[in-house]
Amino acid sequence: MSSTSGSATNPPAPSDTIVRSKGTSRTGLYAVIAVVVVIVIILGAGYAAGWFKGSSSSATANCTLPAAQTLNGAGSTLVAPLMFQWSQVYTASTVNYDPVGSGAGISDITQKTVDFGASDAPLNAAQRTAIPSPGVVTIPESAGAAVPIYNLPGVSGHLHFTGQVLAAIYLGDLTNWNNSALQAINPGVTLPNAAIVVVHRSDGSGTTFVWTSFLSAANATWKNTYSHSTTINWPVGVGAKGNSGVTTTVQITQDAIGYVDINYALTNGVAFGAVQNPAGNYIVANVTNIESAIKDSNVVFPSPTGDWYNVTVENAPGATDYPLATFTYVFVYTDVGVAYGSSYSLTKAENLVDFLAWIVGPTGQSYAAPLYYIPLSSSAVTYDTNTIHSLTYNGQAITVCVPTG
Amino acid sequence: MTPGNPFPATVPPRPPRISKWGDRIYLALLLLATAGVVALMVALVAVLVNGSGLAFKAFGFSYIWGYYWNPENGVYGLGPAIQGTLITSAIALLIAVPLGLGAAIFLTQQAPAWLRAPVGQLIELLAAIPSIVYGFWGLIILVPIMAKVVEPRLIKYLGWTGLFNATPIGIDILTASLVLSVMVIPTVTAISRDSIAAVPRSQKEAALAIGATDWEVTRHAILPYARSGIVAGAVLGLGRALGETMAVLFVIGNHTVIVNSLLAQGQTIPSLIANVWFENNTTLERPALVYAALVLLVITLAINLGARLVLTRSQAGRGAAAE
Amino acid sequence: MKFDRAARRKVFSHSMTVLSGLAIVVILVPLVSVVYEVVLLGGPAINVDFFTQPIPSACNPAGGLPCHGGGGVIVPIEGTLQLIGLSSLFSVPVGIGAAIFAVEYGGERRLARVIGMVADVLSGVPSIVAGVFTWAVFVLYFPTIAFSTLDAALALSVLMVPIVTRTCEEALRTVPNSVREAAMALGISKWKMSLRITFVAALPGVITGILLAIARSSGEAAPLLIAGGFGCLHPLSQGVENQTCALPLWIYFGANNPYPNWITLAWGCALLLLLVILGLSLLSRFTLERMSRRMRGG
Repeated sequence: MSSTSGSATNPPAPSDTIVRSKGTSRTGLYAVIAVVVVIVIILGAGYAAGWFKGSSSSATANCTLPAAQTLNGAGSTLVAPLMFQWSQVYTASTVNYDPVGSGAGISDITQKTVDFGASDAPLNAAQRTAIPSPGVVTIPESAGAAVPIYNLPGVSGHLHFTGQVLAAIYLGDLTNWNNSALQAINPGVTLPNAAIVVVHRSDGSGTTFVWTSFLSAANATWKNTYSHSTTINWPVGVGAKGNSGVTTTVQITQDAIGYVDINYALTNGVAFGAVQNPAGNYIVANVTNIESAIKDSNVVFPSPTGDWYNVTVENAPGATDYPLATFTYVFVYTDVGVAYGSSYSLTKAENLVDFLAWIVGPTGQSYAAPLYYIPLSSSAVTYDTNTIHSLTYNGQAITVCVPTG
Repeated sequence: MTPGNPFPATVPPRPPRISKWGDRIYLALLLLATAGVVALMVALVAVLVNGSGLAFKAFGFSYIWGYYWNPENGVYGLGPAIQGTLITSAIALLIAVPLGLGAAIFLTQQAPAWLRAPVGQLIELLAAIPSIVYGFWGLIILVPIMAKVVEPRLIKYLGWTGLFNATPIGIDILTASLVLSVMVIPTVTAISRDSIAAVPRSQKEAALAIGATDWEVTRHAILPYARSGIVAGAVLGLGRALGETMAVLFVIGNHTVIVNSLLAQGQTIPSLIANVWFENNTTLERPALVYAALVLLVITLAINLGARLVLTRSQAGRGAAAE
Repeated sequence: MKFDRAARRKVFSHSMTVLSGLAIVVILVPLVSVVYEVVLLGGPAINVDFFTQPIPSACNPAGGLPCHGGGGVIVPIEGTLQLIGLSSLFSVPVGIGAAIFAVEYGGERRLARVIGMVADVLSGVPSIVAGVFTWAVFVLYFPTIAFSTLDAALALSVLMVPIVTRTCEEALRTVPNSVREAAMALGISKWKMSLRITFVAALPGVITGILLAIARSSGEAAPLLIAGGFGCLHPLSQGVENQTCALPLWIYFGANNPYPNWITLAWGCALLLLLVILGLSLLSRFTLERMSRRMRGG
């Protein structure tokens, strides 16, 4: 920096490189910026300290509950919209749901960092053994279904599929769309002479669970080689992440076939097929026929703490039942006082069971169908209600506020 | 007033008082902060080593070149993810360096002065777009274009190379590389510009004086001088590409296998970590992912350190040579 | 008629010029495309509700749940502010402290260069690795809040520290030594000189660095996923020990959902994030230009 030279008697003028000496509008600008940054930091810290938290609204339960609590759940992303809807409507307690994935939800309940875990698939043997005492109960709280989606511009309506044909496609045995097996069940449809682009899930998923259960039931080779699970070592096809990934991939790839949950198929308007049920009819999935499938399957539930891995509502016998239905599940500890220790109050236990009873009750289930989830059958509701009533707090029964039935 | 003494005699020098303690406390705070920064680097490696303990005990170093990734069957190998990381980053560089260098040359040599700042700013804006936005853009805009327009032509005209043997669905290594290249270009451009601008004018003027065309000036007088800086910029861009998660996650296909085609679905280390983090199927999965993060950290730090060393040496060299 | 060599060289040079100009055009195509898409898809989401309302229930017009168009992203916005506030709180003092130490006490010696080198190398840490790192730290010492806003904020501060350190250091170095010498000659204690004179002179550059660091970290989604979990579906904004929600997280989750209002909100978040980051980047560049011009010209 140059300074003006002075004479021998005058000291040289100071270089004006110190901010204060300027006092121009630039200083003002920097000051304003500094103030803005500081305000943002303070606001952020303030939000962190809860300065701006709103207050929760009053309870709307059917009888007087003790004081509202905060219930934390985590798990399946698939049921997240429904869980969130429930948490918005059910205000007797604050329900926080973190859709970090079924696997993480199961791990969270195992580590007791949440009050309930949600998953699209039941606990497998390894997961069950990992859960510490006193163990969890399995509560089916909603249901869904897997549908085959495809991208065939020349084909209108709903293509017919059977479990055998789908298994053959996913095994890689059928590689062209105009194969005889598929043509035989679709008379009058011009199938293109094109290679089938098979799309499956690249991540673990309950939708994969129900899809592969269906393929296992239909095809012995599939059953013996891959069986049913949330993750598969797929023989053919490309992987996409999440239901949305499969939907997008099929939508942009001509001649592709994939499987997604019913709510993705219906909301995205992607073409999906009709699947043959045991009665021999080709069923196009909708909320009604999935609901009837669950009812007609007459599924026998194991004990609440038992092994649910082979519980299935697929291939229900009814004439109009959709054969790829499945439950989604919530896991809670059988005795929350024993499981979580003294930090878990009786009040909280009462709120937890009240919430569970509410979501499987008529009000909670009424929110399912508009979001394309499937309401529980009455037998499932009865079973769930009994399970919920069986939950204890340090050995004592917990008063359930919401009336049964 | 005595001549030569700028200070009037009436102002005595002030003796230091409590400032000694002020200085000490100040120094202590600064040391704390500095130690924090250095400790951070050490802690990064240490904590990741600790977190991957279970996986390291189970697999040792063979995890790094393991050919298969199949946690449900207890098979853990980082090879596919490393392959995908290297291929996507390499292709991203192959695209970004010519484009970025070309842009830098144009901006510094040919562009009229009024164009330089705005266009330079626009290219910098590319760096400001969050990577998750790039990821979604890639998925909804680039993937269909690749699937319907670009990849079928690549198969048709370049299929003989054997690099494009796969069904073109648009979600693959190639598309991921393209998205990465878009993100790397600003880095390459900015550093190339700086390197080219640092070349002394005398070089350019000397070349022009003997009748070189613009291109010859660039090629013979400027680029050799700026070469190490440009290389360093490319390597820094490589570092950025290696660590990208969200941009790659949506468009690479998340298929953790060794790929033999640019149009196949693959995996990179960051995408693997993000995808599998919440899967939680086995107890070894998270430690294996922490192990993967450690490997990625080591690779990126090594490349970054190398690039910085080259950059500082080239700047020092240039400074000395300019004397 | 043959071109002579000189003409050939000229033609070649011109075509290279065209090519490099073309490079610029090619580079700008994705920029235009991205911005266009984000504005197109996110624009409809921006209204007053967007900034004041919490996440609404999913709507499904085809299923009988019409979309009212209400709801907004106040929870992700609050979360992003929480994250920025916390991560700045962690990273700014540390970064500034290290930079001041390097310049004022390290001077030209090797120590200063080592600190600068450490900062540069740290700036290359991938964001997902920062998330895994802080998650692992929390699992060791605070396992119950391993997925929380605190954890995610720490991950972001790991990314911010090198940026703050480097820019602060550069800003301090542009303050000429004559200023320091003049202060010392007047008998001001070292710490006062460093803080109240040198640092204040470098303030514009420091602010630039902070703004740049905030811009970089506010757009990161990977460390939030890894270390913060996903807490956007809480009905109220939560404390920092809960799973975090932020604009990038809602983009990730909402756009992967089939329900139209959540998708639109996600794109609105993308637009908001884009505008904020671009704004911060431009602002920081603006102050940097003014500062360096002032320093050079003054």
